[in-house]
Amino acid sequence: MRCSSISPASKPNCRLWLICVLSIWALNADAKIVLTVPHEVSLSPNTHTQQLSMSWLGGDAATFDVIILRTEFNETVFYDTVSATVNPMSGRHQWNWTSVEPLECTSLSIKIRSRDGQTTSEWSNTEILQGKDVPSEINFQMYPQDRIVPVGTNTTFCCIVEEGTEFAGMNYSSTVMKVKRLSRRTYASTVVNQKASGRTGTNVVCSSKYKQSLTGAVVFVGYPPQPTDFVCETYDLVSAVCRWKEGRNTYLHGKRVTRYSVNKRDCPKEGSNKCSFSQWDGNWTLVAVNPLGHSSLTDSAEISHRVCPVAPVDLGAVVHAWDATVMWKWTYKYSLPLVCQVELTNSGYNTKLIFTGVGLQSVVLSNLLPYEDYDLQVRCGAQKNFWKWGNWSDVFTFRTKSSAPDAPDVWMWMNRDNTGLVVWKPLTRLQSHGLIKRYKVTLCDPKEEQTCIKSLPPGTCSVPVNLTQLASFRSDNKVVATVTAENDAGVSQPAIIRLHLTDVEPPTLSRAVYTDNSFPLVWQHQANVTCSYVVEWHDATCSHDCHVEWIKVAAGSTNITVESDNFQPGVRYNFSLYSCPYDSPQKKQCWQGYMQELTPSRPVPLSVTQEGSSVVLTWGEIPLVDRRGFLLGYNVYSNNGFKLTLLANLSDPGARKFKVQGLSASSYKFTVKAYTSAGEDTGSTVSIMLERNIYQLILEMLLSLGGISIFLIIVTIICYKKRKWVKKAFYPDIPEPKLPGDWSRTQGPLNVKPSHHSLVHIVERPDQDSKEALVVIPEQDEDDDGYGIGDEPVDTDEPHSLRYYNHVVDERPIRPRFPDSSASSSSSMDSAHTDVTYTGIQTSGTSLVFQLDPQGSSEGHHPQVDQGVHCGAGGDYQPQMHPMASNIDTSLASPDPFLESQASNCGGYKPQNSWHLDSPTEACERSSLAPSLGSPTSVASTQFLLPDGEECGEEKRQLSSASTWFTNLLSSTKP
Amino acid sequence: MAEQEEQPLTASGTPTSGPSRTGRAVALARLLHSECTDLLRLYKERETFLSNHTPDGGRMVSLSPEVEEPSAEEQVQLLHSALRQCLGLLHCVILKEEEEWGQLEGDYETMKKTVRARLEHLLFSTKDLVETEGTTLEVTPDHQCNEEVDGAGGVFSLKMWTYRVLLELIHWADHAAQTLHVLHKEREGTGEI
Repeated sequence: MRCSSISPASKPNCRLWLICVLSIWALNADAKIVLTVPHEVSLSPNTHTQQLSMSWLGGDAATFDVIILRTEFNETVFYDTVSATVNPMSGRHQWNWTSVEPLECTSLSIKIRSRDGQTTSEWSNTEILQGKDVPSEINFQMYPQDRIVPVGTNTTFCCIVEEGTEFAGMNYSSTVMKVKRLSRRTYASTVVNQKASGRTGTNVVCSSKYKQSLTGAVVFVGYPPQPTDFVCETYDLVSAVCRWKEGRNTYLHGKRVTRYSVNKRDCPKEGSNKCSFSQWDGNWTLVAVNPLGHSSLTDSAEISHRVCPVAPVDLGAVVHAWDATVMWKWTYKYSLPLVCQVELTNSGYNTKLIFTGVGLQSVVLSNLLPYEDYDLQVRCGAQKNFWKWGNWSDVFTFRTKSSAPDAPDVWMWMNRDNTGLVVWKPLTRLQSHGLIKRYKVTLCDPKEEQTCIKSLPPGTCSVPVNLTQLASFRSDNKVVATVTAENDAGVSQPAIIRLHLTDVEPPTLSRAVYTDNSFPLVWQHQANVTCSYVVEWHDATCSHDCHVEWIKVAAGSTNITVESDNFQPGVRYNFSLYSCPYDSPQKKQCWQGYMQELTPSRPVPLSVTQEGSSVVLTWGEIPLVDRRGFLLGYNVYSNNGFKLTLLANLSDPGARKFKVQGLSASSYKFTVKAYTSAGEDTGSTVSIMLERNIYQLILEMLLSLGGISIFLIIVTIICYKKRKWVKKAFYPDIPEPKLPGDWSRTQGPLNVKPSHHSLVHIVERPDQDSKEALVVIPEQDEDDDGYGIGDEPVDTDEPHSLRYYNHVVDERPIRPRFPDSSASSSSSMDSAHTDVTYTGIQTSGTSLVFQLDPQGSSEGHHPQVDQGVHCGAGGDYQPQMHPMASNIDTSLASPDPFLESQASNCGGYKPQNSWHLDSPTEACERSSLAPSLGSPTSVASTQFLLPDGEECGEEKRQLSSASTWFTNLLSSTKP
Repeated sequence: MAEQEEQPLTASGTPTSGPSRTGRAVALARLLHSECTDLLRLYKERETFLSNHTPDGGRMVSLSPEVEEPSAEEQVQLLHSALRQCLGLLHCVILKEEEEWGQLEGDYETMKKTVRARLEHLLFSTKDLVETEGTTLEVTPDHQCNEEVDGAGGVFSLKMWTYRVLLELIHWADHAAQTLHVLHKEREGTGEI
C-alpha cells in the first residue's frame, strides 16, 4: 500500500524492498532442504516385553514421525510424532514402542521421517519386523507363551494357524474369545481384567479346522509378593532365626514361586518361611521376589530383647500327697532371669502358675490333691525385656500320693419299729484321697459299755440297725453311731450321728415348689437354735427303710436349695428340716413337693347306686403312689359312649360322692376323673340302668284309685244330698195325660206298632269314609213338598228316614218309653196307632232327631228331620210339660247344653231321661227286629251300635242291672 | 480304586501259590492299563481342553524287532524294552511337572506314583518271565529326561507332551496285557487267568 502511495520518484526503494523479501524466501527454501531423511533404521524387538526398539541416523531433528503398519494388510498400527533420544556415543536416534499384540503375531512395517515443526523430511525406507506368520513358519503357533501377568491386567493373544488350514476359534480357559484377524494366518484376541489363575496356569487354546489340531499358551495370573510379620529372634542367645508370613497369596507356584532372601542370603523355598543364621546381626532385611515384583521388610533389635527360650526338656518330679517338686533341663544354658509358666491339668481343669528365677530349672507345686493325676507343661521367657514365651515342654504326668480320707457325711433313717438305717454318702474321688478299702460303722451303747463294730466294703453306703435291743435306747434314746472310712494312707475322722425316731410330726406341712431344677426351701429363723441343720428328703410313699437323701445347712441359715439327680417326675417327696442333727435332732418343719406333677396314673375306684330317680356316684381314694401330683379335685362327666359332658367340677380333693338327680328310667354312664395341675387321669366309668320303683308305682296307682274313689263317694254323697234336684233334673215325673172323658179306661190296650216310617236310612257314600263326613241329610224334598213327593222319587212305602253318609247306623225304630210304664206299654210296639209316639235318633251327641207320627198311619206320616222345621211346624203333639222341668233343663248343666237348649226351645216333649244305657238294648232289639216296646217312648238313643248279639245280650244284662239299681235309687227318692 | 491300591506293589518276584507267573503278569498288566486309564481321566479333569482332543503324530515309544516273526518270549522282551521307555517317560513327566508346578497333592499326583510303582512291578515281572542266561534285562527307566518336550518348550507344550505320554502308557499297558496273555497261553495252555 505504501508503494502505491509513493511517487514515481520512489520506485527504486520499492525494488529494494522486493529484493529483500525474495532473499528471505530463498533463505527459507534452503532451510527446508536441511531436514535429513532418517536412514539406517534398525529394529530391535523384545518379544517378552513386546517392545520394539528403533534406532536410526537422521540429522539434528528433535522430533520424528513414526508409522507402523501391519505388513500384510497394510493397516496402521501406530502413527505419531515422537521425540527420539540421541545416543551421544553413536549419534543414533532411538525410540521404543510397546505393542499391544505380541511382536510375533504378524510382520510390521516401520517408516520414520524427520519433523521440524510443520516441516518434515521424506519417509525413510520401510523396515520390516518379520512376524511368525511368514510362509517359512508353517507351524501352528500361539503368542505369548508362558506369560505371567498381574491380576486385573489385559493380555492380547494371537494365534497363527498352520498353512493350509483354517482358523476355528480361541478359548481362554473355557471361555470362547472374540478374535480379530491381523493377517492371513494370524488372529488375535484380548482378555481383559484377568482373574488369578490356578496352580497350573490358565490355558489359552487355539484350534483349527480340518486337522483338528490344537495349539495354545498358558498364562499365569497372580500377585507380586507381599510378606508380613518379619521378625528375628534367638533361642540360644547366639544364633538368629528370622521368620515371616507369606501374606497375600500370589497364585504363583513352581518356577514362578516367590523367592526369599534375608540379608542377601537365599532362604529355603516354599513352605518354611524362615531363615537361620549362626550369629546375631542386629539388622535384618527380607526381600521377596516373584516374576510380578518384589517386596522387602526390615527388622532390627538387640539380642537380649529377642530371647525366646527353647522348650524345657527331661521333666521330672518329686511327688507327695499334697505337693510336688517339678524339675527340668535346658538345651542351652540360660544365665539370665527367666519367668516360667507351669500349666497343671487335673480332671479337665487346668491351672497356670508363674515362677521366676535365674536359669529356672525347678518349681514346687503346692495345694495339690492326694491321689490325683496331674498333667504338667512348662514354658519360659526372659523376665527382663520379655519378648515371648518359648515353646511348651512335652507333657509330664504324675500322680500324688494317698492321704487319709475325709469323714463321711452320715445320716440315718428310723422306722417306727425302732429299726432303721445308718446311711452315709459315698466318698467322692476328692474326698477319698486314695482307694477306699472299707467303711467301719460303730454302734455305742453307753449303758452296757459295749460296742458293736461292723466293717463294710467300699461300695456300701448304709447299714441296718435295730435299737430295740440296746439298753441305752430303751432308757433314754441315746444311741450313737460312728462311721469311718479307711484307705491305704489311714482312717478318716469319725462321723457321729445320734439315732432317734422321726415319728414326731412337725407343726406345719408346707408345699415345696420345684423351680430352676431345685426345691427352694425357706424357714423362719429360730433364735433358740444355734447349731446347724440338716434337710432330708425321701419318696413320700416310702415308709420303711427308705432311700433318704440329705444336705447339711449351716447354723443360722434360713433357706436352702435342694438339688438332686434322683428327683423323678410324678413322685412326691417329703422334705424335713432338722435342727442340731447330730446331737439332739429335732424336726422343725416339713414340706412336700413334686419335681413335676403328672396326671394320676390310676383312676379313682368308682361305684354307683340308684336312689329313686337319682344316681349316687361314690369313689375311693387314689393311692398316693398313683396320684403323681397334688389332687385338685374331680370332674364328673356324663358319658354317652362318644362324648363326655361335664356334669360337675368338684374342686374339693376330699370329695368322694356326687349325686346326679332328676334322671328318668334309662341307661346311664358316668365318668369321674381326678385331676392335678398336670391334667386329668384317664377316668373311671360306671354304667347304671335306672328302673322305676315298683313300690312307688303301686303307691301312685293306689293313690290315684283312692282319689278317684273319694271323688266318686263325694259325688255320690252330693247326689244323694241333692237327690231331689237330681231327680228333677234328670228324671222328672212324667205327668199323666189328661184326657177328656174317661176313655182311657174303656179303651183297650194300645196296639203299638212300630211305624214303618220311624226308620233311619243309612246311605253309604263310597267316596267318603271318615266319621267327620257324617252329615245329617234332612229330607227336605219331602218337607218342601209338603205331603207330596218331590223331584226325587220317593217310595212312600219306605219310612221317613235320616240318611247318614258313610256310616252304618241301624235302622231300628226309636221308641219312646216310660221307665215306669204301665202294662199297656208293653205291647205298644205292636201298634202303629199309638196316640203319642216319640221316636228319635241320637248320634254320638251330634244330632238328636225326633220322628213324630201324630197320625199314626203311614199315609199321613211326614218325616220331621230338621228340628227347626219340626219346631216351626209346631208339632202335632204337645206333651204336657212341667213348667219347672223346662226351667231345670235350661238351668242345669248338661253335657251338651246347646242341644238341650234347642230341645227346650222347641217347647215339645222333654223326655225324662236320655241315658244311653238303653241304647245297647235297643240296638240289640233292633238287630233282632223285635218290636217289643209298646209304651210311649220318651228317649231314644243310638249311641251304642253293637252288632254282636251276644255282647249285646251280655251288656244288656249288665246294663239292666245297673239301670235297675239306679232306677231303684231314683225311685227311692220319689215322694 | 481302593481295590487297586490294595494290590501289592513290591518288586519281588518271589513265586507264590495261586495263579502262575504269566497269569499274574497278565493280571498286573491289565491292572496297569486300568490305572493308566484312570490317570488320563484325572489329567483330563485338570486340563479340560484335552477332553475331546486326539493328538496326532506317531508313537513316542516304538519297537524295531530284529526278527520278522518274533516268538512270544521275544515279544515280551520287546515289550519289556518298551515298558522301560514308558517308565522313563513317566519319570520325566513327574520331574518336569514337579519342576513346573512344585509339590502338588491330589488324586492325579497319587495316581501318577501308583502307575509308576505298578509299571516298575510289571517290569520286574516281565524280566522274571523272559530273562535267560544269555539275556539280561534292566528295569531302570530308559529315558534321560533331558530332551525338550514337543513344540516350543512352553508350559502348554509340556501339557500336550504329558498328555501324549499318558496315552502312550495306556497303549503299552494294553499291549503288555495282550502280549503277556499270548505268552500265558503258550506256557499254560489256557487263556483263562
